[in-house]
Amino acid sequence: MNETLPISIARKGANVLKYLRPVLGAVILIFIIYRLIQTLLIQETYGPETWTRLVIAGMIIGSVYALIAIGYTLVYGILFMINFAHGEVMMLGAYTCFFVFEALKNIKVGADHSLAFSNAYPVISIIIAFILGMSVSALTGFLLEKVAYRPLRQAPRLVPLISAIGASIFLQNAAQLLFSPQLRDVANPQILARGSGWKILINNSSVTIPYTGVFTFLLSLILLVSLYFIVQKTKFGRAMRAVALDKKTASLMGIDVDKTISLTFLISGALAGAAGVMWGLHNSMVYYFTGFIPGIKAFTAAVLGGIGNLPGAMLGGLFLGIIESVGPAALGIDFQLKDVIAFLLLIVVLTFRPSGLLGEVLAEEKI
Amino acid sequence: MKAARIFVVLMFMFMMMTACNAAPAAAEPNGTGSVPEVSGSDSAAASSDAAAGSPEICSTDAFGCAVFKPGDVVKIGMGAPMTGGDASYGFDISQGGTIAVQDSGEFEGFKFVLVVEDDGGNAEGGAAVANKFASDPALVAVAGHIYSGATSAAIPIYEKAGIVMLSPSASLPSLTTLGSAVFNRIVFTDARQGPPAAEYLFNKLNVRRLAVLHDGSDYGKGLAETVAAKFTELGGEVVITEAITKGETDYTPVLSAVASKNPEAVYFGGYTAEGAVIVNQMKQTGLENAIFFGDDGTYGADFLSRTGANGEGAFATIAPIPADSPEKAAFDAAYLEQFGKEPGTLSPYTWNGYDAVSGLIFAIKSVAVVGKDGNLYVPRGALINAVRNLTDFHGISGTYTCDAVGECNTLPPTFVMVKDGAWVPAP
Repeated sequence: MNETLPISIARKGANVLKYLRPVLGAVILIFIIYRLIQTLLIQETYGPETWTRLVIAGMIIGSVYALIAIGYTLVYGILFMINFAHGEVMMLGAYTCFFVFEALKNIKVGADHSLAFSNAYPVISIIIAFILGMSVSALTGFLLEKVAYRPLRQAPRLVPLISAIGASIFLQNAAQLLFSPQLRDVANPQILARGSGWKILINNSSVTIPYTGVFTFLLSLILLVSLYFIVQKTKFGRAMRAVALDKKTASLMGIDVDKTISLTFLISGALAGAAGVMWGLHNSMVYYFTGFIPGIKAFTAAVLGGIGNLPGAMLGGLFLGIIESVGPAALGIDFQLKDVIAFLLLIVVLTFRPSGLLGEVLAEEKI
Repeated sequence: MKAARIFVVLMFMFMMMTACNAAPAAAEPNGTGSVPEVSGSDSAAASSDAAAGSPEICSTDAFGCAVFKPGDVVKIGMGAPMTGGDASYGFDISQGGTIAVQDSGEFEGFKFVLVVEDDGGNAEGGAAVANKFASDPALVAVAGHIYSGATSAAIPIYEKAGIVMLSPSASLPSLTTLGSAVFNRIVFTDARQGPPAAEYLFNKLNVRRLAVLHDGSDYGKGLAETVAAKFTELGGEVVITEAITKGETDYTPVLSAVASKNPEAVYFGGYTAEGAVIVNQMKQTGLENAIFFGDDGTYGADFLSRTGANGEGAFATIAPIPADSPEKAAFDAAYLEQFGKEPGTLSPYTWNGYDAVSGLIFAIKSVAVVGKDGNLYVPRGALINAVRNLTDFHGISGTYTCDAVGECNTLPPTFVMVKDGAWVPAP
């Protein structure tokens, strides 16, 4: 930590920092333990059924965060820039989900043309929604790189960051103008109707595990694992890692750097699109601002897990989701303050592990 | 490579163009798309040519006169949520107001126009819109704002500028109790909305364990507190009070915590966007048997379409639906023809929107003077008094007489519930 600071600051600040960190950590830790004992042991505020519900909700939202966080991490790993328009890429995926199901709802099939296509063939409908949603988002990510980031490849590191923020605002406003500022509700097929799910009985109270939630969780796990294999085992993955390590040498070795970067944006866009479709299916409501909050949260998750680190982003996403959902209840704090807990945790983690939970995967070039 | 770059640039331009084309279409429903350009005469210009034909009242009026040259348009403002999850309220009420402008006709050859600005329903937006309105010399009155949070931020600004307000729907009690000279409203205050809701829950629905949720807004929190206080006073138990974060789509954690207290009913102070999410997620968090009881902010067609079957049996308190009259029939027909929807389906305040705007125009007509030079003079201070002294004004939803603090409506709320996918009067 100290090595990265300019020498003069490091010398002056070293003593303060040496004591400040443990003290800060101890204060927060004591507070957390005190509140935990209060809610869990003394007051016994909630029964096991409530805890189960909270953890389920956290895992579902966490898996969506993880999918989006992967996009941040992939792009950061290869270009060392934060693609702040990533949440908007996800928002376009969610809009595609809305439009697909709206269209399929209005295609009538069956003997008397009364059955909606999305209810008659739900599996096909969902596959169509995912393919289209992922393609739209992948294409957006791809074009975004071409228009907003590639011309600035040689510019100082701050410049593409500003360009990314601009792209984010542009996409939000374009969506508002094109699709109207109203909230849209995704018309789910009946088998994935909101609120339906497996019911298990805990303490005589039925806990629902929503189908959309399980579906979201499993699908994001599958996508994340397959991405990990692509990066680690395939030729393209090797090219990607090589470009991340050193662009010049990689191009000397015959790797098409531009193509690799484009493909990285395609993949991160597709994952964001999948997250958007899941968001539409599980949370139903889509509007132009949909991508902003999940985008910020996923960025947090990526930093929490160690940016540039794929398993770190997955872990960070799930961790953040569960903390957000369980944290206020466990600490006996108002639920409105869930973001405070999440970001306080981010500060604590970064204070003790500045490179995130699993550590930042640093390329030589950056150090 | 070059071709690819040109293609990208063309795509970009195409996107820009479609975005530009869509802009007027999006703005159309609020009726501002076709507003004629107003050459608002600013006060400096007014004072210079005032010597020619300005009536005497302008020199004695506390806020002076708004001056309109022949051909100018008298503007009435409305700050309303036109974007986001609660936009149906803004659209509905401003559409009601648009019809009022059409019905009110001209005054000595001067036309009226309703200018609708998006305040997002929140305090920041309310203040921004109020500043914009206050800097427009042709704007003499504001029919709004629609939401209490935006309204309370806007009042001090209008107070300084001497612009009179008549809100169709801002029901926060403190809006009138803090001694504002310019603010008036034709909706009940939440001091009248909350207690009857608590009594209904306790007496009619036999609820003894109530959970109270609110969205943290001035309106939602204030209303929730009123209900909780009255419910406790009646002998019921408020088992949990929780605030939610506005604008989210996942409230399962907070609802799980609510479910652990086994309430028989959930009262929610807030708006449709969050109310609909709560109703949906109550079914998966162990609150499937609890009654959802909302307010005048959770009513409307959007609530029905977003909750579907989950919304069955939900309650809300709304302003009374006006009794049938020839005026109501004429308005309903005009609204249906122009906007393709039955009035009262998007929000309960369609008729209030009409009444607020027509009430303001009535007041403007009563104080406006045409000077010797043919200009129209609207004394702002006299207009403020005229609205506060509105007596027996016949609107569609009732007869309004404003009291000393600006409460122009004393009707209590009525109760509605969702039955077979529609809002019907509750038994």
